[in-house]
This record gives sequence, structure tokens and C-alpha cells, in this order.
Amino acid sequence: MTDTSSSSPPALTHPVAPQQLAWLRSELAGWTADGTISEEQATRISSRYRSEHHARISVGRVLLHLGAGFVGVGLIWLVAANLDELSPMARFAAVATLWLAFLVGGEVLADRRASPPLVGAVRLLAALGAGAVVFQAAQSLQVPAYEPRLVGLWSAGTLLHGYLTRSHVPFLVGLVTGVVWWFWQPLWDAPNGLTVVLLLGAGAVLASSLAVLHDGWIDSFAWAWRTVAGALALVALFTAAIPDIGSDGIEWTTWLVVALVVAGVAALAAVVTRPGPRVLEPVGAVVVLVVAALIGLWTTGTDTSSVDAADWGHAAVSVVAYVALAVGLVALGTVRDHPPLTWMAMVGLVVFTTFQSFAVFAPIVTGAWLFVVLGTVFLATGFLFDRARRHLAHALDDDSATDTDTEGAGR
Amino acid sequence: MNRVLVTGIVAATQLTLVGVGVAPQLSARATGDAYLVRVGPVDPIDPFRGAYVALDYPDLRHDGSRSTAEPGLGALDDGESGAVYVSLVEEDGVWVAEAWSRKRPADGPYLACDDRSWQIRCGIESWFLPQDEAQETDDVLGDGAVAELRVDVRGNAAVVDVRAS
Repeated sequence: MTDTSSSSPPALTHPVAPQQLAWLRSELAGWTADGTISEEQATRISSRYRSEHHARISVGRVLLHLGAGFVGVGLIWLVAANLDELSPMARFAAVATLWLAFLVGGEVLADRRASPPLVGAVRLLAALGAGAVVFQAAQSLQVPAYEPRLVGLWSAGTLLHGYLTRSHVPFLVGLVTGVVWWFWQPLWDAPNGLTVVLLLGAGAVLASSLAVLHDGWIDSFAWAWRTVAGALALVALFTAAIPDIGSDGIEWTTWLVVALVVAGVAALAAVVTRPGPRVLEPVGAVVVLVVAALIGLWTTGTDTSSVDAADWGHAAVSVVAYVALAVGLVALGTVRDHPPLTWMAMVGLVVFTTFQSFAVFAPIVTGAWLFVVLGTVFLATGFLFDRARRHLAHALDDDSATDTDTEGAGR
Repeated sequence: MNRVLVTGIVAATQLTLVGVGVAPQLSARATGDAYLVRVGPVDPIDPFRGAYVALDYPDLRHDGSRSTAEPGLGALDDGESGAVYVSLVEEDGVWVAEAWSRKRPADGPYLACDDRSWQIRCGIESWFLPQDEAQETDDVLGDGAVAELRVDVRGNAAVVDVRAS
């Protein structure tokens, strides 16, 4: 147990933005004045934090990352646009030298504890440079640049960089290119509507499982995986609910099976190694995958001129499933203090409801009335969902307060 | 972990992944045998990728037509897409296509190709050159030329030279 009676200042202080520190100090003054905490406690709390301009998004940080992004993209573009004066091998050597310089430079700067935005910018150059090396090698050897495996290899290399150095920028580059590859590689074999739905669902299962596995290990990476999982789950159900998306059935390919198996193994690992309520995340994602596949397989015909009971049923079940997912994500976002999940769920639900209304009402309501109906549905969805979100947040806050009181009484 | 070691592991792994990405072409160049095939031009310049010669192989085309813009070896038109294997046979000092199959032939020589992007492509449809050389090569191709391919035992192919026939 930590000894809180010691008056010695903590060895490590957390950097926070100046406005946050000013807010904390004004609150501490208020709590001290009304007797909630003592002067000594207020001083100890205050000494845990220091003001640092880098703790917030500064102009310098934005410019550094923007500049690194431009240089990195320019590097790839230079390669793509073919450096006429150099032979293919000289071109490859030039690009590889630049990539290696950025990679080593970034780690040297990190080792010397240089400014974090500067280190991030150089690591961004190294991550983009890794892609430039892959594509330059491919171009030098006349490898077709449209093959998805090149993006997959780029992703694998930058993810390794991110994980070994615990750096966010290469990790994010690897995450984005990895998501691109996740869809491109199986669709390269079988461009099919249900394949997209299954890949989205399996991606949500994999990402949510990885988020749970990263909790308490690398929390910032867990945050990114959780955001990706929420987005993929929302898009999976949205896509599955598009009328007749699965009219061609499921086309099983090696890569699709690999994707589903990898997602399953990750979910199993999360359930086995992290028991408790948090397994609801991968389990919920598996439910989304199954429901999305079933809705996708439910075809109601391609005749858009008439709306029959099957069309109404399809739209109703889709809306119910989407509302359930949105509420689940809002609950997760509230429990995990993860605002992007809440916002994605709200925006996704409104867009989804509007899209479904359009699909159902457009054949029978036209012109100005269509806008009136859609607008009404839009407003009602937003109003009801916002109320539900507030009630949910309130209920969860009450629960956590009760739990705290119970634990306090137990002690 | 030591930062020097970590950086070394990242660099070595990323370079290995680059090698994996170009392994078929490296294998063709390093272990493949040489085959001469007749070749003609399609379109000398790609506005995005810069100067290169897009190559057309009249003796390897499936449908006998000639590319006008996109390089490729025609379409198989069997309702499927994926791997295509083009068996080669020698005629008058150059190699020509003998058969097209979805299954890998028992013995060679053959080209391992792909027709997911509508046309059959074998990784030999482009020949990158500086701008001035691209124009010269395009002129040579117009007068009749051969491409020297390196093809390994798995059908991976790479263009190593284009010259007048």
C-alpha cells in the first residue's frame, strides 16, 4: 500500500496543459476553503503536475507532423514518379538510405530525450519511408505495384516499429495500412458484398480482442484498437443492412477463412487471459459479426418499386440491431471514458436510420414529403438517442458511486 | 531492451519484408532461365509513374487482340478470376504460348500469371526506363523486337532486356 502520509514530493510529475493546471489549482483552492481537503493535501496534489506547453496540441507539433507527413508522402511520390536520372538500383539505394537515416535518427533523438513532437515527426518519416522502400524495391524489379501484399508488408514493418519502440506514430501508420490490407487482400480474391460484411465483422472482433489484451499493457494502443473496433462494428451492420448486399451468397476464399480464424483466436485469447466483464467487448463483437452475416444473407428481392412485408421486416430488424449496437457502444464509451465511441455511435445511428428510411420510404413517398418524413425520423432518432445516452451515463455514474460507497464501507 | 538492438531488429525485419515483397522477381532473376519472346509497344508514358514502356506480347496473348492502353495478355473469359498459367513452347527461336490453364502445369516452362484485374498479367508488362531511353526503346519496338525474360521453376518471370530482333 502506498504511504500517503509522507510529505516528500513525488519523484515523477505529470505534464499537463497550462489551462488544465490553472483549473486544477482553482478547484484545489475551493476544496481547501470549504474544508474538503487540507492545505498540505492540496499542495501535494498540485505538486504532482507541472505545466508544459507540449502537453497540448501546439502549433509547433502540428507543423512538425504536417511537415513530416508532406515529406514522407513526397518521398513515396518521388519514387512513384520515377527518378529519371538514376538507375533502378541507385533509386532503391537512395530511398533506403533516407529511410534508414530517419529510422536511426528518430531513435537517437528519442534516446537523447529530444522534444516528443520532433521525435514523432522523424518516426513518421521513418514509417512512411518504410513504405517508400517497399514500393521502390517493387518498382525497381518491375513488381506490379497494385498487389495488396505490398501494403500488408509495409503495415507489418511499421507495426513492429511501433510496438518495439512503444511509439504512436509508426503504430498508427501500421494500423491504417493494416486496415487497408485487411480488406484489400481478401477482396482481391473475391470482390463480394458478403465478403465485405464478414471482413468488417471479423475486423471488429480482432480489434476489440486486441483492445482488451492491450488494457493495462499499452493503454494508448488499446485506445486505438478500441476506436477501430467500434468503427468497424458500426460499418459492418450498416453494410449488412443494405438491401440485397448478400444476394451473391458467401464466397469462401483462403484469405477470408484466415481472417475469420485470426479474429477467433484473438477473441479466445482475450476471453481466456482477461476474464471478467471486459470479455463482453470481444463477445459483443462476435454477436455483431453473426447478426451482420445473418442480416446480409436475408435477401428480400431487388424490386425497388414496391415495399412488401419482407422489406419492412428487414428494415425493422436492421434498425433494432443497429440501435442495440449503438447503445452498447455508448455504454462502453461511458464506462471506458472513451468519447469517440459515443460520438461514432450517435452519428452512425442517425446516418443509419436516415439511410434505412430512405431505402424504405423513397419508393412510396416522393418529393418534398420525403424530406419531411426523413427529417422527422432524423430528429426523432437524435432526440431519443441523446435522452437514452444521458440516462445511461447517469445510471452508470450512480452505479459506480454506489460501488465506491460499498467498498468504502467494507474497508 | 537496448535501443540500438531494437533499432537493428526493426531495420533488419523491415528489409526482410521488402525482400519478401519482391521474392518472386528476385527468384526469377537469380535462378531463372532465359527465354526470348516477341514484343511490341503499347503506350510509352504513364503520367503518374513516369517514363516506362508498356510491353505487348503478341505470341502470349490469349484472345489474339492487341492492347491499346492497358498492358496485359488478354482475358481468359471463363467466368473465373485468379491464377493463370501460360505454358510456353519454342517456335523459330522465340517462345510462344501453347496453353492457358487455371491449374499449375506439371512441368515447364510456364509463366505464373493473374487475371484478377480483367487482363492476364504476368509481371512482365512494364519496362521502366529514363524518359529519353523510353522514347528510343519505343521506336525500336515499333520496328520489331524481342524481350529477354528470366523465368524460374515456379513460373515467376522478370524482364531483363528489350532489344531489336
